[in-house]
Amino acid sequence: MTATEDNVSTPEATAPGRLAGLGPVGWLRWGWRQLTSMRTALILLFLLALASVPGSVLPQQGIDPAAVSQYFQSHPSLAPILNRLSLFNVFSAPWFAAIYLLLFASLAGCVLPRTVRLLGSARQQPPRAPTNLARLPASAGYRTETGPAQALRQAKALLTARRFRISEGDGWVSAEKGYLREVGNLLFHIALLALLFSVGLGGLFGYKANRLLIVGQGFANTPTALDVFRPGRLVGPGNLAPFAINLHGFSAKYVSSGPELDQPMSYDASLTYSDRPGGPVRHYQLQVNHPLVVDGVSVYLIGHGYAPIFKVTDGTGAVRWDGPVPFVPVDQTTLTSEGVIKVPDAKPGQLGFAGVFLPSAIDAGGRLASAFPAALNPRVSLVGFTGNLGMNSGQAQSVYQLETTGLRQLPMQPQPLAAGQSMKLPDGLGTVTYVGYQQWVSLAITYDPGQLPALISGIAALAGLILSFLIRRRRVFVRAAEGADGSTEVWLGGLARSDAAGGFETEFGELAELLRAELSATTTQPFVPERGELATPDASTPAANDETPDTASVSASREGE
Amino acid sequence: MPINVSLGDLSNGLLLATVVLYALAMLCYASDFAFARHRVMAGLTESSGAEVPAAELVAAGSGGPALSVAASNPSAATARRDESASRWPTGFWLRLAFGLTCLGLTAHLLAIVTRGIAEHRTPWGNMYEFIAAFTCMAVIVLVVASVWYRAYYMGLFVMIPIVFGLGIDLTVLYTPAGSLVPALQSYWIAIHVTAMIVAIGLFIFGAVVTTLYLLASRSVRRLAAGQPSWSAGILRHVPAPAVLDRLSYRSILFAFPVWTFGVMAGAIWADHAWGRYWGWDPKETWSFITWVVYAMFLHARATAGWRGRRAGYIQLIGLGCLLFNVIGVNIWVSGLHSYAGMG
Repeated sequence: MTATEDNVSTPEATAPGRLAGLGPVGWLRWGWRQLTSMRTALILLFLLALASVPGSVLPQQGIDPAAVSQYFQSHPSLAPILNRLSLFNVFSAPWFAAIYLLLFASLAGCVLPRTVRLLGSARQQPPRAPTNLARLPASAGYRTETGPAQALRQAKALLTARRFRISEGDGWVSAEKGYLREVGNLLFHIALLALLFSVGLGGLFGYKANRLLIVGQGFANTPTALDVFRPGRLVGPGNLAPFAINLHGFSAKYVSSGPELDQPMSYDASLTYSDRPGGPVRHYQLQVNHPLVVDGVSVYLIGHGYAPIFKVTDGTGAVRWDGPVPFVPVDQTTLTSEGVIKVPDAKPGQLGFAGVFLPSAIDAGGRLASAFPAALNPRVSLVGFTGNLGMNSGQAQSVYQLETTGLRQLPMQPQPLAAGQSMKLPDGLGTVTYVGYQQWVSLAITYDPGQLPALISGIAALAGLILSFLIRRRRVFVRAAEGADGSTEVWLGGLARSDAAGGFETEFGELAELLRAELSATTTQPFVPERGELATPDASTPAANDETPDTASVSASREGE
Repeated sequence: MPINVSLGDLSNGLLLATVVLYALAMLCYASDFAFARHRVMAGLTESSGAEVPAAELVAAGSGGPALSVAASNPSAATARRDESASRWPTGFWLRLAFGLTCLGLTAHLLAIVTRGIAEHRTPWGNMYEFIAAFTCMAVIVLVVASVWYRAYYMGLFVMIPIVFGLGIDLTVLYTPAGSLVPALQSYWIAIHVTAMIVAIGLFIFGAVVTTLYLLASRSVRRLAAGQPSWSAGILRHVPAPAVLDRLSYRSILFAFPVWTFGVMAGAIWADHAWGRYWGWDPKETWSFITWVVYAMFLHARATAGWRGRRAGYIQLIGLGCLLFNVIGVNIWVSGLHSYAGMG
């Protein structure tokens, strides 16, 4: 499970003759080793990045379905092909899932054995000191009058005080420090696995919903009362929190002068809610960035618009429609909005209207336009239709669209109506009155039980990352022996096991100086900081040869991630 | 509260002064390379086996405490008692260049602060402000690296993209001081965007160092093989490839956790504002791609056969993704982050 190319270049992995004789278990082992190798992880990471690109370039079904259908219209031959490749659903596509599941399998295959090894090495002692410390990446030599045993005792005390783990033998002291690096590294990777599980948890037990609410209206959180309801796989209708919300007012403020004209400054929805039927009613000012949280479910203000109020009287004099109709903004800066009124009960003929609402109507060169998003001079312009609206055909219809095939457009001059003005329909079909307007808000309702686990996983990943980046695993060795002239020769050697960013030299330099002062020694071979580049733990250094195979594989596995 | 227009104008003037000062600093860094009686830096001599002034290696490679060790032992101290062992810049042109850099940075910081006061908010609400902020961060990284790692040789190479970027920012992307749309009115802007600014400044610095590393290691190889190298002339002023590699790696080691934090803070904010912490919005997707590519870089650098030049190229791809996210996504792709963009 090592991450370097070692395992790729091992004889049994490369020699085809040996592969043929591996047998099924050998093949499985070979495949698993390939999957968990660092090279495979690198390739999978690259594929994951590459696979995300189309998701940001092409419109996505889950984010902007309208843009997808528009893409289908403008690229009629290309779109079906892209659709077959799940390119409008990249992030839920099987091939995308294949990449990240393989990556996480590779990750787990690397991380779990390392965790076991780390636990096993918790009480492990540093290896014995190499014979020739001068060959280590960092080394220094001294001569002192202190005896060898005493010199080693003092060196040991110095290293113990700096919280090194110590082992000692005849004429040498070995010290190692920085085991937390591996802990941090593993924590990071395990937290990433946990993050993926948290996301999955939210997908199974969470739900997302939308509801458009006109001022004065209310709703209860049940699937039938929601406009859009996307439950997770394991969510039933009974799992919804039983709160109810009433909207009492909405105000939007806009910049009314200067270069930022029309830019919104604040949205503020005034609502009351109760967390269960018959429960106490509370008040809440819902704003962007200030969601309402009821029973673990969050309610967000994500949109707003105008709902002009109409009164439609048919040819028989009966009032067939009296109320607000939500219009959808088609221009976000001026809030010019469009909508339809469907009056299937009207007699003698069914009536339908397509309308445009202009919050601040002005005459723009003979054409009506809205100059400002607030309702300073609201006007409605309607086009009427009669015929069969098709609402009994059993087919689902959008309340925001009028299917005009099969309808006859009424011969009327479109005229902008101010509040209270009426328009008489031809052929005795009735009248339509624009009474005034109301505002609506659109609410997003989300429940995601994976949220808190995801947050905790994220924090753990970050902590692990910082830990593994800050802490160096390093070894320091001391040897002392009696020299030819009766004085003691002391050698200090060190290597950073995973110190690609440098910094060990500084610590070693400090240690070298402390030891020299401690032993009141003279320097015979100074520590030259630049000697070892310390870029990587080099397998050819003498210390590495002394290592047990177990620790060697730990150091060669995915360190420095 | 209304926008303080005169303070906004002051901020514009300060940013203009910043660009001028940076441009002058850039010229002085170049003059230092051209005219200063320069020590030949380690880069191209080391591989050919020539004598390397030890002080240069110390100067470029390690921090302060190593020097004190050196000073404590007499044999090494003689080699290191060299003018360039100083933390501070030496020579007329370099002193002037560094002085201008610090002056420019002061003006830059003041421009950002006055802008913030004029608008009564954290001044990273649009692309103009965002670019002004992360270029400032990149210069801070340059100044710190200059003093800390004696990386004064980076001055010219960092200032070129900074002056270019700020110039575009002031001319093409200029946006007058103004208020924020409701979606951005949250204290999370100070957390999420600040983290992104810090990370981007470090990533840019790392990428410039890596570009230099790739050039230097190519040059070293070509010279070792007896082939001509066009960049050898200017790379004489730059330390050994391994030193550059390490400097770049340091900045990425710093930047990557900050970026990770920034993405997470963005997810928390997204959850507050839009009701989901991750929704594959184009901006989110590209910050994820950037994260993955830099993660690849970190893994590659720890893997035999990938470290060195290959890892360097991966890092440059990472910066490409980052810049596409900062600029490309704002211009060509529409999404929930669109308010951060153009017009």
